[in-house]
Amino acid sequence: MPPTVGKRVPRNEDRRLLTGRALFVDDVRLPGMLHVAFVRSDHAHGRLRSVDVAAARARPGVVAVYTAADLGGYWQHAPLLVPPPPVPGLVFHACTQVPLARDKVRYVGEPIAMVVAESRYVAEDALADVRVHIDPLEAVVDLERALEPAAPRLHEHLDSNVAATVHQQTGDYLAARAAADLVVTRRFWYDRGVSAAIENRAVVASWDPRAEHMTIWDTTQAPIPIRNGLARLLGLAESQVQVIAPFVGGGFGPKIMMFYPEELLVPWASRQLGRPVKWTEDRHENFVATTQERGQLHDAEMALARDGRILGVKDVFLHDTGAYDPYGLTIPINSQCTLLGVYKVPAYDSAFTAVFTNKPIVTPVRGAGRQHGVFVMERLLDIAARELGIDRVDIRRRNLIPPDAFPYDHGIIFQDFTSLTYDSGDYRPALDQAAELIGYERFVRDEQPRLRAEGRQVGIGIVNYVEGTGIGPYEGARVTVEPSGLVRVATGVGTQGQGHFTAFAQIVADALAVDVAAVRVVTGDTREFHWGTGTFASRGAVVAGTACRAAALTVRQKILDVAARRLGVEPERLELAHGRVRVRDHADDPGVPYGELAAHANPLRGAVTSGVEPGLEATAYFGPDRGSTANGVHAMIVEIDRDTLLARITRYVVVHDCGHLINPAIVEGQIQGGVAHGIGNAFYEQLVFDEQGQLKNGSLMDYLLPVATDVPDVEMVHRQTPAPGNPGGLKGVGEAGCIATGAAFAQAVEDALGGRLEIREIPLSPNRLFELLHDTASPGDPA
Amino acid sequence: MTLAGAFVFRGPRAAVWELLHDPDVLAAAMPGARQLVRTADGRYEGVMKVGLGPVTAAEFTLVVTLIDEVPPDRFTMAIDSQGTLGFTRGSARVALAETDGPATTMTYTADLQVGGRIASVGQRVVESAAKAMTAKGLEALQRALDDRLARAREGAGS
Repeated sequence: MPPTVGKRVPRNEDRRLLTGRALFVDDVRLPGMLHVAFVRSDHAHGRLRSVDVAAARARPGVVAVYTAADLGGYWQHAPLLVPPPPVPGLVFHACTQVPLARDKVRYVGEPIAMVVAESRYVAEDALADVRVHIDPLEAVVDLERALEPAAPRLHEHLDSNVAATVHQQTGDYLAARAAADLVVTRRFWYDRGVSAAIENRAVVASWDPRAEHMTIWDTTQAPIPIRNGLARLLGLAESQVQVIAPFVGGGFGPKIMMFYPEELLVPWASRQLGRPVKWTEDRHENFVATTQERGQLHDAEMALARDGRILGVKDVFLHDTGAYDPYGLTIPINSQCTLLGVYKVPAYDSAFTAVFTNKPIVTPVRGAGRQHGVFVMERLLDIAARELGIDRVDIRRRNLIPPDAFPYDHGIIFQDFTSLTYDSGDYRPALDQAAELIGYERFVRDEQPRLRAEGRQVGIGIVNYVEGTGIGPYEGARVTVEPSGLVRVATGVGTQGQGHFTAFAQIVADALAVDVAAVRVVTGDTREFHWGTGTFASRGAVVAGTACRAAALTVRQKILDVAARRLGVEPERLELAHGRVRVRDHADDPGVPYGELAAHANPLRGAVTSGVEPGLEATAYFGPDRGSTANGVHAMIVEIDRDTLLARITRYVVVHDCGHLINPAIVEGQIQGGVAHGIGNAFYEQLVFDEQGQLKNGSLMDYLLPVATDVPDVEMVHRQTPAPGNPGGLKGVGEAGCIATGAAFAQAVEDALGGRLEIREIPLSPNRLFELLHDTASPGDPA
Repeated sequence: MTLAGAFVFRGPRAAVWELLHDPDVLAAAMPGARQLVRTADGRYEGVMKVGLGPVTAAEFTLVVTLIDEVPPDRFTMAIDSQGTLGFTRGSARVALAETDGPATTMTYTADLQVGGRIASVGQRVVESAAKAMTAKGLEALQRALDDRLARAREGAGS
């Protein structure tokens, strides 16, 4: 059978999704189920003096109301999910969230009390019965002011609002600077927003007191860590807790193994009350209670030789981590490491300070800080190119890591705690192809002058990025051929629309010579598979996919061995096709169906050969030593309306390299969707907090998402430089679409405005462009 | 949020001062006010029901404390209002100046902090809604003043 990996195979899951038959957490409706609403803080910073729930408890239909005091020993700080990486001299203060605020509130939206009622209506009404007394404190909002000695402190056991400081360097930056012909120094601000998944978060928990078993449906990206953590916290064996992450309408990071307050409390309440309990987040809650990503303020400089060669880069930045830091330093480490991009940087000196502020918790959102680094690097190159009189594409060509330099070690530590080493890459052809496809030279030489003469403001942007993907620690998969002939695959990662039911099925179908549609994939159910970490960091296909492949190859060998014994021939004489085994060169032999062999491998009488596991089943794991580095180029043409300053992206080109493709249609969907996220980040979306930490645009009326007409069809070229670290040559692609968008957009807008403005911040908007053009705000200041 | 403005009452300053200290009058004039009572000297407590743009109307408790009173020139109100949809807190400075007519010019400056759901969902209408409510309230106060002055004249005439 011809391989399906690399082909545009239609997605196995689409029939269920498109006909509305897929199960999402909110579809779970159990007899006797109770509903939850949360009392949340209206103040960004304050002392919680009292919570009076007597009236709420007395309301008909209310079953229970819990405050921090009611939780007893269950009240504790949530686990630190990602410890800090082993960087010498690193300082990190772990301050993780609690289930319900007890003494202090630290952001608007922090849960204070939980109401459980017969219906959500009653639960919501009862919120009005709860009397909360908070003495407001001055809020910490601005990153620089947060570090002033007189600033109020979020976590009073610390002596400042510093969550972490990290300094990494390679080479001798001061020497590079001294030798430079040009040093470019700038301040950059890059902000990020909500993930805006279509489906908000939801949790349903059902404690069965007779079976002593807890079943939890959760919109998590990481059901196994959630299962393990909740079992520990609830004092149950891991086998007593089953976490199911069914279909999830978008993850993008915030649905990772957060141990959100709601995630901790709903199962606890179900056990207290002996009834199923459900909570579904509403959109407003999503704006204040789900983690977000946020701004970084970079003071960066680049030292260059006259010919445009980078001699060194120095960057000192502040990272806003919000009120708590359960996800450690993944985002700023990503920013620090991704900044280097596809370029040779002989000397790099990078230091950051993560800062606590009275805003919702910051954890990765698609891109996870990579876009901040790419923005700084690409902007510095644009400015240097202009000052040196070198073409924008040329200056990039002159600094690329050459193809014979891999594996390329940058000499600093990455988010997976290993050295930042790129496994493979071929950067020059990607850049050339993108420039060619968007017609860079022709545009700059002919088209732009012609359109400018007509009074139109058009510009082009072209930038590089790398995407560290496919990091460890490991994932696993179990492949089973059932006696019916059905092939079953179970893996521990959760799925949020990535096409796992197809991509994993293709890998297994190719190994076993069956149709892709005949492979049934189960993800995100801890009862089906209970080892693994989760879906994040663009690693599902690389890590879990490779485990699927390994398990399938073992099953393939088992099929051959069982069939060889059964048919009395050497395994080498057998071939597999369409779910059957037959002897090679016996074309008219219908062969033995796998199902028959599966039954044979699991006999009711007789003996299974010693050392052979029963059934046609195998489990395998894959743990890469380090991640694989994808890369690409984004190029766009932008036109800016003279009157309204609305930017219209007329063309968008992505040339990317994620190693070997499993399914080009799925990869293209990832990139198109990522670009939509990137465009939102660049021009539409921004969380606006006032000086007291109040979110001023917490609804989709005021927080603008790009709509279909704002996102052009992306023209794509797939390049396939194989990853040497896994047998499929795979690299991840989940974040490729959004990492470089802001940098490309800034360059294109600057170009369209004909040098009237140097853009040093993202997001932009028509209003912000107006302010910058008319100098009513100083550039680089946070909006 | 800062609300500032001036309003000219058609009536003498003493009558306006008295008007602005009568909880029943204020309750009637405040859009959405359910009740307002004087709980101590210079302290008023009440309940009001307010909706804002896309935010469905909900009840807020309201505590107003008068401070720095210099009758009949000026006073300051400390405002603390909260409900399930959020809170409003801050202060409003009010000054009265008598002019010919007799008329009284009231100038006011309120610095208010809005928080919670009304801030995050109602932000784009919060200021215009506050202005509209103020305008409505002031008109109602003028009507109440007209009534009082008319009653006083009738009382004097009989």
